[in-house]
Amino acid sequence: MLEMNGIRKVYRTDLVETHALEGLSLKVDDGEFVSVMGPSGSGKTTFLNIAGLLDVFDGGTYRLDGKDVSRLKDKEMSAIRNQNVGFIFQSFNLIPDLDIFDNVDVPLRYRGLGAAERKRRIEKAVGMVGLTSRMHHLPSQLSGGQQQRVAIARVLAAEPKLILADEPTGNLDSLMAREIMDLLDDINRQGTTIVMVTHSPECAARASREIHLLDGKVVDVERPPAIVESIAR
Amino acid sequence: MLAYNTRVAAKSLRRHPLLTAIIVAGIALGIWASTTFTTVRHMFARDPLPGRSDRVFYIRMDNWDPAAPYPTDGRGKQKAIPPQITYRDSLELMRSQIPLRQTADYVTQTVVYPDRKISRPYTERVRLCFSDFFAMFNVPFQYGHGWDKRADANAEQVVVIDSATNQKLFGGANSVGKRIRIADREFTVIGVLAPWRPFIRMYDMTQNFVGEPEPIFLPFNLTPRMQLRPFGNVDGWQNIGPKYEDFLASDVDFVQYWVELRTPADAASYRRFIDDYVRQQKKSGRFPRPLNNSVLSMRDMMTEMGVVRPQLTAMAVMSILFLVICSMNLTGLLLGKFLARAPEVSVRRALGATRADIFLQHVIECELVGIAGGIIGMLLSIGTLRIIGKLISDTARMSLDLEMIGAAVLLSLVAGLLAGVYPAWRICTLQPAVQLK
Repeated sequence: MLEMNGIRKVYRTDLVETHALEGLSLKVDDGEFVSVMGPSGSGKTTFLNIAGLLDVFDGGTYRLDGKDVSRLKDKEMSAIRNQNVGFIFQSFNLIPDLDIFDNVDVPLRYRGLGAAERKRRIEKAVGMVGLTSRMHHLPSQLSGGQQQRVAIARVLAAEPKLILADEPTGNLDSLMAREIMDLLDDINRQGTTIVMVTHSPECAARASREIHLLDGKVVDVERPPAIVESIAR
Repeated sequence: MLAYNTRVAAKSLRRHPLLTAIIVAGIALGIWASTTFTTVRHMFARDPLPGRSDRVFYIRMDNWDPAAPYPTDGRGKQKAIPPQITYRDSLELMRSQIPLRQTADYVTQTVVYPDRKISRPYTERVRLCFSDFFAMFNVPFQYGHGWDKRADANAEQVVVIDSATNQKLFGGANSVGKRIRIADREFTVIGVLAPWRPFIRMYDMTQNFVGEPEPIFLPFNLTPRMQLRPFGNVDGWQNIGPKYEDFLASDVDFVQYWVELRTPADAASYRRFIDDYVRQQKKSGRFPRPLNNSVLSMRDMMTEMGVVRPQLTAMAVMSILFLVICSMNLTGLLLGKFLARAPEVSVRRALGATRADIFLQHVIECELVGIAGGIIGMLLSIGTLRIIGKLISDTARMSLDLEMIGAAVLLSLVAGLLAGVYPAWRICTLQPAVQLK
């Protein structure tokens, strides 16, 4: 599903260069549920942004679903984001003045689906996260956990092959976090690949595989060094 | 996507009503100024006979003093030719078979004697003209019609009156066949005009061309019988005898002469006809100056007579520049507004919106502002034009015609685009990853 080789990413300002990723290489197979851990500044979010084609990189190659996506035009990258990738963010990132229906509708609009098909998908996805009765509520009228479920419904409606989740439980209490992780488990069981960045060992343990990053590189897929574990905790 | 983007844009505008009102007001101000002043210019410049003003020609012949050319001081680009021709020459020109239509005409003033029960006698402006006048200048009739060639030839005592006169004398009823006493004669009403107030009185540019048309029209050939004298511009350089016949036979210019020619070939033939006529007259000692005739289309005549003053053009240009400045000033406001929305835009980008989608969404928002400002600006402009029209003349009506409404809509869209294109470009080129967590 996702194969990165030697990915480098440097953030440059007038005064300083920050090497966020330094030759990062990793592979995620179809249907896997992978957690990515590492201390702050290890490059987790940069990796996720590049994986989701939200950011460009300075070196290396990246194949997504068998296609080289290293140098694509904006329109091609947008189409891949729209059709193949779903994002779940720590701060939910719902559009505040759109109700639940319209928030879930956003990616479907950009895909150009007809009204009937959009409605069918939205109702199904919102039903799967248990928020049918809140269909026309604004995000501000929902709890944090409910907002994250809406974000997941937005992903479900788009039916992507890959979900990239950036600390999806970071802003939730433990009960709600468990609910969200249960939802992600369900989605993964139905065949969707999930890559999840997290600081939480509990959440990471729900994944089928853990990847640890340090200083912009994958340090040890199987057995992370103690320092990484301690910082991650 | 257009409907969706429009809905998103409208929602965004409603989110900050005060800011939206300020931006709309800025555009409205610019559209008000630009639409008002370009319309004023347009009112003077527009074609008074759409589709025909290049076929209708004004005739001038230089019969002026051999010692000095016709004075044109303070008359703009006007050529040194008397602006009108003589009565006797106009009768000779009427013999030509080249024009499709032709008319000599001039304005006089005489007394109208209504039924004593209706009104006391009053003095009125009267235009003497030939039957082709009405068709040539698209004069609209409410009742009846103009007179015919036979009435021209026989100088029949028929009259065409305007709708206000018909209202005054006959209560607005169909007065065709009724009689009016004008000067010392009885006239039969043959036609009543529909309300007619061309902004430019195109058939007489020798004097106040924004004046009202005359209320009464009589056959030109009644001139000698009624011993009428012109009430408009009169030019002459020779002494004339005391009798009325001396006046008509003199080289005094007071008649305007118009012809409608079918083709450019006819126009060339007619020019030759005029030159030949003057050469022939020279043999009898008239037209002492070098050959200097003018057969100018109505459009060219309007240009030469300075109907569109340079000041009007300058003001129209300045007003459009004002609109540009208004739009540019709004760029900062829109930039701030759009950049504040960067997180939402980043979410949309993450969910599949292309840069073009984001650009279009924001441009549409600017265009909605432009259209709203345009509508308000146009309404203000209509009010202002009414006031300007009143300042020009009590009956001059200035308003936005379809052409100017179209121009105002276009200006509104351009203003919206001008104000918003840079902010829209900035927001669509933001790197989405920066805003997302």
